Amino acid sequence: MSHLTKSNEAFWWSLFSAGGVMAALFVPVIIFVTGFVLPFMMGDDLESQYDRMQGLITMWPTRVALFGVIFLSFFHCAHRIRHILMDFGVRWAGVALLILCYGGAVAGTVVAGVVLARF
Amino acid sequence: MPQETITLEVFRYRPEEDKQSTFQNYDVPYHEHWVVLDAINWIKDNVDGTLSYRWSCRMGVCGSCGMMINGEPKLTCAVFLKDYFPKVIRVEPLVNFPVERDLVIDMDGFMEKLKSVKPWIIRDDTDQMDQEYLQTPSQLAAYKDFSMCINCMLCYSACPVLDGDPEFIGPAALALAHRYNLDSRDKGNEQRQDIMGAEEGVWGCAFVGECTEVCPKNVNPAGAIQQAKIASTKAWYRSVLLPWGKR
Repeated sequence: MSHLTKSNEAFWWSLFSAGGVMAALFVPVIIFVTGFVLPFMMGDDLESQYDRMQGLITMWPTRVALFGVIFLSFFHCAHRIRHILMDFGVRWAGVALLILCYGGAVAGTVVAGVVLARF
Repeated sequence: MPQETITLEVFRYRPEEDKQSTFQNYDVPYHEHWVVLDAINWIKDNVDGTLSYRWSCRMGVCGSCGMMINGEPKLTCAVFLKDYFPKVIRVEPLVNFPVERDLVIDMDGFMEKLKSVKPWIIRDDTDQMDQEYLQTPSQLAAYKDFSMCINCMLCYSACPVLDGDPEFIGPAALALAHRYNLDSRDKGNEQRQDIMGAEEGVWGCAFVGECTEVCPKNVNPAGAIQQAKIASTKAWYRSVLLPWGKR
């Protein structure tokens, strides 16, 4: 080939892949457990439900696990949106698109981190 | 009973006399057992000897007779008239390639891409080439499916990435590179990494998967490229985290 462009796509793709696994496997489980199983088990007392859920989330292993799921899902989403936009012909935006998409994922990750740390 | 016919609407482009391509209709005898290539050969032999196209084996082995049949890339030796009869069959050269003449495409770009991935066994002990390199059945199975490619280029016509980015190395060449990387006798992984890990290499693939859909030999180039992405990602992390070591 006449010229090759060195790529760092492997880095973004690895986050995208890991995020895909999170979004496909763990997010449905989290929704199922927190949205259906726990509320059914806890009965109708909303206040105690909230307290117990808060107790669960304030445990450090839960915070770390949730942070992992949220952070990787953000990067999965950012990578997919970037590539969809590129497929629609926004290749010309290049670095700006990269900053916008992954910058959004970084921002989301920071917010998630702060919220989880303060919970 | 008169002979039934089927119409082929054939792409024509003769650079010495045509400024633009046109379509020419030919009525061809309809036989249930004829493939599209039989009909094109009949036109060449009986109606219009100027029609140019590539073909050779007539049995899905040589990979020469790929054309667009009603907008889909197909081997014309493997697609029957009966699947379209009585409708018109539109025959065009493979898309995503320059046209040399009529149904003949310019393959130079493809051949250059193919060569660039070094699709041959690379070893550092070439002084011992007279010895045998044994493989277990499982070592053979690791790459065998990817070695079935006949370079028919249907996957290049089906690939939407190549439509927008002609520099993309493309499905067949990348799958073939991965085939050699998986071969236990090969030591050329590192030599292929620069091209595999480039924007024009595996990272150009958007995993649409049309290459796998149209492949007449069930090679699954899309799967090969995804596997190659994992290998390329490992190589990238090694090169960043262990820059002093070998990739």
